[in-house]
Amino acid sequence: MNKFREKLLDFKKRLSDRHMYSIVITVIGLIAVWGMYQLKSEMEFHQKTENQYNRAFFETVEYVQNVETLMAKSMIANTREQGIINLSEVWRQANLAQANLGQLPISQLALENTAKFLTQISDFSYSLVKQNLNGGKITQKQMDDMKTLYDYSEKMSNNLNQLQAELGQGRIKWGELVKKGTPIFNSSSKNFTTKQFENLEKDFKEFPSLIYDGPFSDGLRNQQPMGLTGDNIKQSQAKEAAVKFIGIDKVKDIKPMGTTEGTIKTFNFQAGLKSSPAMDSVVIGISKKGGHPLLYIFNKKIERESVNVEQAKAAAKKFLESRGFNNMEETYYLKEDGVATINFAYSEKGVTIYPDLIKVKVALDDGEIVGFESKAYLTSHRERKIGNPKITQEQAKKIINPKLKVFSSGLAIIPTPGRAEKLTYEFKGKVEGRDFIVYVNADTGKEEQILLIINTPNGILTM
Amino acid sequence: MKKYKIIAVFIIALAVCFAIHNLTAENWNVVTMKENIYQRYDSNNGILQTFKEAFAAKNATGKSDMVGLMARAINGEARGETYVGQVAVGAVILNRTENSKFPKTIPGVIYQPGAFTAVSDGQINLPISSKTSAYKAARDALNGWDPTGGCIYYFNPSTATSKWIWGRPQATRIGKHIFAK
Repeated sequence: MNKFREKLLDFKKRLSDRHMYSIVITVIGLIAVWGMYQLKSEMEFHQKTENQYNRAFFETVEYVQNVETLMAKSMIANTREQGIINLSEVWRQANLAQANLGQLPISQLALENTAKFLTQISDFSYSLVKQNLNGGKITQKQMDDMKTLYDYSEKMSNNLNQLQAELGQGRIKWGELVKKGTPIFNSSSKNFTTKQFENLEKDFKEFPSLIYDGPFSDGLRNQQPMGLTGDNIKQSQAKEAAVKFIGIDKVKDIKPMGTTEGTIKTFNFQAGLKSSPAMDSVVIGISKKGGHPLLYIFNKKIERESVNVEQAKAAAKKFLESRGFNNMEETYYLKEDGVATINFAYSEKGVTIYPDLIKVKVALDDGEIVGFESKAYLTSHRERKIGNPKITQEQAKKIINPKLKVFSSGLAIIPTPGRAEKLTYEFKGKVEGRDFIVYVNADTGKEEQILLIINTPNGILTM
Repeated sequence: MKKYKIIAVFIIALAVCFAIHNLTAENWNVVTMKENIYQRYDSNNGILQTFKEAFAAKNATGKSDMVGLMARAINGEARGETYVGQVAVGAVILNRTENSKFPKTIPGVIYQPGAFTAVSDGQINLPISSKTSAYKAARDALNGWDPTGGCIYYFNPSTATSKWIWGRPQATRIGKHIFAK
């Protein structure tokens, strides 16, 4: 204590030294200059982010206004061409509005239904464009849906105009929300801006569920997995299934790791292998219904590669057969970090059924199976009645680009983004050195899908 | 001599303050710009991941560096988690791109303001090697491995302050995180 006082007195004494005064004044001056500089650069940064947010906001407003007008036009368009032109613009502009909305510094929750509305109006329009292109007429139900969507877009547009005015008057500031990002200068957010957006969101709370043929349709979420055959099982039975799947001779010990209440409900287990005893390296999920393996994850350390891709494919196929997955046909593979991920599709009477997909990972050090994933297979696999194609392969071939030098072809069932399935002819071929796969609908003769194949040293990719 | 020491200490302290401040102030600006850049490269808008998967695991080594971006997000969010916990965080990012309430691209989801703490505080910028488990986990997630059963949220029950998040239907718990729909 005394020491401290002594020091203080000493400091006071030295302060009275004239020399010291000038130093203290200079330091204070320096701090003031530095502070001003800091304030200026802080304001500049602040302004830059504020500008970014304003741009995102004003673009959202603009796109939503366009959506409103385009929806109005789409509803009175009487020819197919006008319908397609207007609806594809709705699709594009609503998509852009959604992307910009996601950049606003407002909690995702505060605007989740607004975001959903924009996704659905975009997705719905796209599904109508496709329907129009295929010669389909807009039904009364779709007309009613369009009217509903139009009404909501009008409301949204009005609300945004209101917000735009408030922003112009300086009553909306992104600032407080932005501050959250700088931990040192953290200020408590008053949610000032979020409040202003509550009105916008409120309208969409009551938004009716929309069912159409598109990936974001409300109907899709309630789809039941079709491949989950069998009865509900107990955890002990699931454990047995898990050990059997991994390999009885490989498992050292296994313990439960809770459940996953997903679309496909599973019992989860952690296992230690004889070759790799750490408990956290292997995880497996077995479906509660039927005891099907859904997911197997083994984070194996791979030092060197001594197995080639062909051997890995054979190992994966042998593994699938030994676990009761027969008629699986290898389609694509990818090699990364000493592991080959191989995709298998179910095949029946020579028809490749792409929706029934299983992925297997093979370690390239000794060909051990280090991953398995069957969500797609369990979701869509069932006994299908594959109808006879209405057109022949020769007829279908005439539809595709004559430049495509076809080297293999066959029947395939492909998924659509709306999770429907289509029977098609698959043509693999080359144009000017590039590999393509073209799918032609085997009933309507329409080109359904074109894939560009990229051969890399690591595997075959499709785009 | 002693006063010069005091002055020197002062100046060093100033320089340190200056550096720290600049680093933090710049963060948000960079975040928004990065989102724009990545979004421009994420060329697969509009085609769903599950749909693409049916043909092949496309995203895993596409032209854009989505694996790297996702790996750094996983590293920032779930560095201390088990491998499966890291895959789960990646799966949530991917599930969001397929949910109507979220942006439709991986960078859009990762850089959505306030969505992930690792983005807000800049931990996502920590450089990581492609040999780390976060990288492998990102690949598994992009290839369709989803230990969460389709979840779009996760939180740490010991630090979560939002009451709302507890009300979401919970699907599973992996390590420190509870995953919810």
